[in-house]
Amino acid sequence: MSQRSVACTGAQVLRHFGDLADQWQPDWARFPAQFYPIWQHRHWQRCDLLWVGTLASMAARVLTKGIWALCNPRFVPVGCSSHGHLSVAAAQIKSPQIQADINATDKILSQPLETEDFFRLSELFSLKDLFDARVHLGHKKGCRHRLMQPYLFGCRLDQDIIDLDQTVEHLRLALNFTAHVAYRGGIILFVSRRRQFSHLVESTARDCGEYAHTRYWQGGLLTNAPIQYGPGVRLPDLVVFLSTLNNVFQQHVGVRDAAKMNIPTVGMVDTNCNPSLLTYPVPGNDDTPLAMELYCRLFKITVNRAKDKRQQMELLHGLMTPPPPPTQSS
Amino acid sequence: MAGSRLEKFGTVFTRVRDLMRSGVIQDTPTWYEVFKAFPPKKDPVYVKPQYGFYKKDEFVADIFYEEDKIRAKFYEMYGTGPRLLDLSKSNYTSACQRFLETYSRLESLGELDMSALFEETGKILLAEGLVLRRKGAPVVSSEYRDPVLEFKLTDMLAEQQSGSAAEKQ
Repeated sequence: MSQRSVACTGAQVLRHFGDLADQWQPDWARFPAQFYPIWQHRHWQRCDLLWVGTLASMAARVLTKGIWALCNPRFVPVGCSSHGHLSVAAAQIKSPQIQADINATDKILSQPLETEDFFRLSELFSLKDLFDARVHLGHKKGCRHRLMQPYLFGCRLDQDIIDLDQTVEHLRLALNFTAHVAYRGGIILFVSRRRQFSHLVESTARDCGEYAHTRYWQGGLLTNAPIQYGPGVRLPDLVVFLSTLNNVFQQHVGVRDAAKMNIPTVGMVDTNCNPSLLTYPVPGNDDTPLAMELYCRLFKITVNRAKDKRQQMELLHGLMTPPPPPTQSS
Repeated sequence: MAGSRLEKFGTVFTRVRDLMRSGVIQDTPTWYEVFKAFPPKKDPVYVKPQYGFYKKDEFVADIFYEEDKIRAKFYEMYGTGPRLLDLSKSNYTSACQRFLETYSRLESLGELDMSALFEETGKILLAEGLVLRRKGAPVVSSEYRDPVLEFKLTDMLAEQQSGSAAEKQ
């Protein structure tokens, strides 16, 4: 079983399980549309509210993302007929309707990449908003990380000031990347080890239907996942660090681990952080509550927008049957 | 379950690209196309930690303005000012800021010495209602205190006794 992320088309889902033809398959492999290997973390079980939230969000994800096959009556017969031995050959017998669906999905996936700002995320924030949220305030001169020097505007009475012009560009890139990953059904993991904002980060993740990890990071969380959490665990496709440091002011282990597992990362780097391993670093303050609330709000809006857009596009291209109108009780 | 765990060589993108090219990974990751279309500004290559003296181009400039000279003198003379600094409002002007605005207005008008300009600005602000108290100077209270409040009972008794003693003699 591989840890590669499952693509969105039904045929590719079948092919993913098709190469297990000679091996033992668990029950859920015969019904790929219903049982979707989902990222789990047992620390969520501590927080009842969060667990319920994640269950609900997981259920929502299972229903909406890639499970159009279940709603789509044309697809189900192919899956059910080849139960017992899902072979690659079965996946290659495609009816013209399925081919059309695949073409539509490819179009849905490729069209947003042609536009610069497909989700119009640059209108979500301005430089003034960043300034008012005190994103430009860094730590003192002595705490400065060497690699953060290019992102600094200057040093005012020994306090580092971050260049907000650069922050705006980096934040746009980061939000755009997050939106596209969410659009394609990727799993996003929000990480922050700051206890002050732990609840904020968890509620942000719950509100946008994604995942959060704000507790102690076990060493093998990403690198040893199949053994710690069972086989067939799907790793996140993007890790968002709302603070890259842990409680002892060292770089969070997740940054290095995500790079090891070839997972892209987005992170808010303060003046005492190391931005080199992050795929999309965003220089900015990570200590002020106002700044953290701003980032959480921006990420939440981005992810929700991307998912809504995906639903819209699927409806447009006829891949999904529109939900029935809500019945009005008199 | 194949991959490359060498985070110190190349970037995430180059590793995945090369693994796909060599056929180790078959499926494109979700983020691959997105990264290709919208690459970051700087390649996320691992940078070894450097210990040593800062190079010339790694210099971070101090931020100072021309008005800082006047601000420094203001804080030396008057302290923070009579009011508290309320930074929650973005358009808040502190006492120092108001002083600065008046000072620069006066400076643009005429050719006066710095200390003379200071006096003039102080007078104008007093007229506007902003009282600036010099740091360490005695409190000059504007309200009127009844002289009766200054009397001390022990002094009055002592006077009375000395007065009665004088009468007796």
